[in-house]
Amino acid sequence: MITLSHYLALAGLLFVVGLFGALAKRNAVAVLMGIELMLNAVNINLVAFNRFMNPGEVTGQVFALFVIVVAAAEVAVGLAIVINLYRRRLATDVEEADWLKW
Amino acid sequence: MANRIERKSRLGEDLLIFWGRCSKILYQYVVVAVFLLGAIGVAVAALAANWLVRPKRPVAGAKGETYECGLETQGPTWVRFKVSYFLYALIFLLFDVETVFLYPWAVKFQVMGWFAFAEMIVFIGILVLGLWYAWKEGALEWK
Amino acid sequence: MGIWQLLSVELLTAALGLGLLAVGLLMPGRERRGLAYVATAGLMGIAAVAWAMREAQGVVLNGYIIDPFGTYFKLLFLASAVLTCIASFDYIGRLPRGEGEFYALLVLATLGMMLVASAGELITLYLGLELMTISLCILVTYRKGDMKSAEAGLKYIILGALSSAVLLYGLSFIYGATGSTLLEDIGRVVAREGVKPLLGVGIIFVLAGFAFKMAAVPFHMWAPDVYEGAPTPITGFLSVASKAAGFAAFLRIFFGALPASHGLWAELIVALSVLSMVIGNLVAIPQKNIKRLLAYSSISQAGYLLLGVVAFSVLGVGAILYYSMIYVFANMAAFTAATAFFNEDGSDEIADFAGLARRSPLLAAVLLFSLLSLAGIPPLAGFVSKFYLFVAVIGQGYIWLALLAVLMSMVSVYYYLQVAKAMYFGEPPAGRAAVRVPLGMQVALVVCLAVLFFFGLYPTPLTGYAFNSAMVFLGQ
Repeated sequence: MITLSHYLALAGLLFVVGLFGALAKRNAVAVLMGIELMLNAVNINLVAFNRFMNPGEVTGQVFALFVIVVAAAEVAVGLAIVINLYRRRLATDVEEADWLKW
Repeated sequence: MANRIERKSRLGEDLLIFWGRCSKILYQYVVVAVFLLGAIGVAVAALAANWLVRPKRPVAGAKGETYECGLETQGPTWVRFKVSYFLYALIFLLFDVETVFLYPWAVKFQVMGWFAFAEMIVFIGILVLGLWYAWKEGALEWK
Repeated sequence: MGIWQLLSVELLTAALGLGLLAVGLLMPGRERRGLAYVATAGLMGIAAVAWAMREAQGVVLNGYIIDPFGTYFKLLFLASAVLTCIASFDYIGRLPRGEGEFYALLVLATLGMMLVASAGELITLYLGLELMTISLCILVTYRKGDMKSAEAGLKYIILGALSSAVLLYGLSFIYGATGSTLLEDIGRVVAREGVKPLLGVGIIFVLAGFAFKMAAVPFHMWAPDVYEGAPTPITGFLSVASKAAGFAAFLRIFFGALPASHGLWAELIVALSVLSMVIGNLVAIPQKNIKRLLAYSSISQAGYLLLGVVAFSVLGVGAILYYSMIYVFANMAAFTAATAFFNEDGSDEIADFAGLARRSPLLAAVLLFSLLSLAGIPPLAGFVSKFYLFVAVIGQGYIWLALLAVLMSMVSVYYYLQVAKAMYFGEPPAGRAAVRVPLGMQVALVVCLAVLFFFGLYPTPLTGYAFNSAMVFLGQ
């Protein structure tokens, strides 16, 4: 039987992997991917809680839908900024591929 | 001494219980494992039959070239995509994801009545404003 | 009161934002100047509506709370948005991108903050927070030709998204532990069942997420870089309104719904507050750039504001409300003056402010008094606001904390006066003419100064309003 704790453990692992990616990677696109993983961990949590704690309602699933949509908007803005930066940097130095330094 | 033995046996018991739980979970995956073996078996069998029956000629000439949609490939395949492509992808992504709200609405809107209908019209109106903006600012033109 | 009337402020703001976007598209690029005036007038009109609704109370669809507390914050956001608009007239008009969608985004960011201040439900809260963050992020990158601005935008969106993810992870645990996203239900469950471990984990994550939004140490790393790179008026807006929005949401969740969990986070808030005050003020000392200086000063202000949270009383909440309103006028005045100077000289360096008193007495006076108000020097309103915060904290027995806060205010006087020293005793660079300040900006600056002096000498009207609004929590 797969219980709530299994889902929570999976979400926790995913969250930590995402957090590591977001903090350790130097490439902006990879950082954004790490954040996506964290948000997916949140979605697993929400849907699992909904399924196991109060299966009669759909609040958790609706919450997850909103998280998905807002995350897409966030990533779109992030990538647009990355493109903007990339266009400019490309004109000055092509060699530097790892251009995001904190 | 007795204490230690008791503790040891308790550990053994715990391990047994733990294994019992694990095996219960694993048992549910037996079906998946059978399917997996079957799928691998079919694929391997098909390849093996092919290898046995086919005529064996050495690789030479055009036979060794990359085949892609009937055209000969030109230049290296690891090229960079044009930046404009990403813009399209971003706009597509946004409008694509927004449709996720339409599905639950479409299932339930007859129950929820006119208020839900009006709400969705407003939502789509805002999306149309966004599309109009993208169009007007030239995000849909290939430069 | 009907649903439409209760929601009138939000609906008008949304209509204004979308309308500005649509009208901007119909106009050719050169004639978009008028949008700035439409936006300013519109925001002022909405502020009038919000003022008329200051006593209104009601709940819309279970999850959206209209009460004096929320309306107070809405007025605060509208005031800072109006000041930002006025400060942006010249600055934005000169950018290659032009007015375009700048004002639409500004209004939409304000709308997001309003949603945050009124949200009685976790999904609404999240949506408002993201509407604010994403709009602000685009505004931060608005200086399109400038690498610094683009990099600031990237840092803001990445750290904003990261903090949202942490916050959401916490919210998912709160939802899991209580089975509801309505703050009212959450509060009821927690009061009945106490703080379960699952809820505790959620609360810690939510706390970290909010600390990011408020730029409290140790979650402040993004603030100085983003503040430096953003267009100057937007930096002002960011430092004032987004911080206030973070506090509004924090108070609503932790004071409104989860007062039962006070024991869990009280010590953490003390730590955040002490770290923010000490590090913000000490790191501000060596700063050479006025925007970076104000960034560190705003980190330390977050520390002072957290004192009100530490106090955990109606007095504390009222002090937070009063402090943040005064902070709006002081900080916006400083940033507006910095914008006017940047429009003339194109520089943010404190060294270039030398002799500003002779080139523009008004700008120098505004900068001096707004900085003194931030430091909390007596005749100005900043003194009164700090006084209330310290009293609230001492009332809870944290005397050492109040002493530390006073000490750190002394430190802040030092670096604020460094700017004053440059302005009043420095030699103006040769061949520089007087700084031209447009009329709109002059009016805004004078109004800010008047507010700082008036509420410094006669604080009763605003404190009365703030403490009335604070009665929503813990007041029963």
